[in-house]
Amino acid sequence: MTPGDNIVEVRNLTKSFGDLLVLNDISFDVKRGDFLCIVGPTGCGKTTFLNSLTKLYDIDRGEMLVNGESINLKKHNVAYIFQEYSTMQWLDVEQNIGFGLKIKKRPKEEIQEKVDKVIKLVGLEKYRHYYPNQLSVSMLQRVVIARAFATEPALLLMDEPYGHLDLQLKYKLEDELINLWEKTGTTVIFITHNIEEAVYLSNRIIVLTNKPTTIKREMLNGLPRPRDIASPDFIALRDQVTELIKWW
Amino acid sequence: MAGPEEVFALICKYFIEPVGRTTLFGHIGASLGRVLIGYSIASLAGVTLGLAMGYSKTVRAIAAPLFNIVRPIPAVAWIPMTILWLGIGEAAKIFIIFIGGFANTVINSMSGVRTVDPVLIGAAQLLGASKWQTFRRVILPSSFPYVFAGLQISLSGSWMSVLAAEMVSSHEGVGWLIITGMNNANTAQIMAGMIPIGVVGFILVSLMRWIEKKLCAWNDRSR
Repeated sequence: MTPGDNIVEVRNLTKSFGDLLVLNDISFDVKRGDFLCIVGPTGCGKTTFLNSLTKLYDIDRGEMLVNGESINLKKHNVAYIFQEYSTMQWLDVEQNIGFGLKIKKRPKEEIQEKVDKVIKLVGLEKYRHYYPNQLSVSMLQRVVIARAFATEPALLLMDEPYGHLDLQLKYKLEDELINLWEKTGTTVIFITHNIEEAVYLSNRIIVLTNKPTTIKREMLNGLPRPRDIASPDFIALRDQVTELIKWW
Repeated sequence: MAGPEEVFALICKYFIEPVGRTTLFGHIGASLGRVLIGYSIASLAGVTLGLAMGYSKTVRAIAAPLFNIVRPIPAVAWIPMTILWLGIGEAAKIFIIFIGGFANTVINSMSGVRTVDPVLIGAAQLLGASKWQTFRRVILPSSFPYVFAGLQISLSGSWMSVLAAEMVSSHEGVGWLIITGMNNANTAQIMAGMIPIGVVGFILVSLMRWIEKKLCAWNDRSR
């Protein structure tokens, strides 16, 4: 498989809770190295969408293929960053970052090497032996992001990871994420309700409808990086996505 | 009624001269030995059952009704049945102490497992953790502060049950000191039994707190 081929293929994904149809026959592909942002109106089922993709929820119909095979979390190297901080309180920063690698039973030397590499990328070298309750909110999210990148995932799923942060911190972490993505070439699916964030981060955007959720539009985002949120092109794309999301 | 000086003098005397079969050191040692055995069994069984009840709905459904009926029965109420089942030897005393410590360990261990943040479990599973890895690397360490709190309460419970345990035909122990003091209307001897219960109980709880600080540093550092 050459770079640019599909790493993820989602086919006819359908999910309901009782009589409520939440996801209705969703299909799309993700190319290797893509930064795909999925946006949609509040409550349209974005998190359900991600949880269905990873089989955290049982789905009614459809499938998600990674490298042409049905997704298997033990086989395919998929990392997931939640909206909530998922640091392990009893592990220090270094141990938290190496947690995923330990689960995957990698050798100690390899864990240390990868942790050292990623800890530098997120700027937490000085805090390697700190526990989560000694860290700030932004540091906690960096630890989680570092943990995900340390496993060198084939696919990184992010569910509104900066939803709780103030604007300044959000901008900073968004830049760090772009930096990590550019350096590692990881494929990212990023869920957000924040249109500006989607336009700032992505190279592709999928806009979802209200429930029952379907794909309203897929768009390429070819804005040059680093992006300027005040540039006319940026504003034009942001407005275009905003118009698509309006359901009122 | 003995005054403080008389009680103090008697305690000092009991440290040197035997009261009954042994000195006060011997009585404290005998009680401590029983408590440590009963408490260890209660801790092992209580943590195992509590973790299982917290983790498995099936185990909880089977064990919880019986446990909730047995739990409110105080250790002292078990004495007659214990004598019938286990006689009047050491096993009976250890069983009473076990009863005094068991319930709190079960409840806290179960609560510890049930209050683990589901986000952490999800995070581990999405990183590819098996059920065993999720239990060992997330559920167990996450519930550790609860388990430890249960072990501390349970230690106090076991130590407090020593009096009830030594009511079952004993010849030494701080409980025996109190009971023979009561039978002989010797208030100084009663106090000489009571004070070591308080002091040793305090030392044991302090020791457990120190161990907790060492083992759960992550939970205590910012306090």
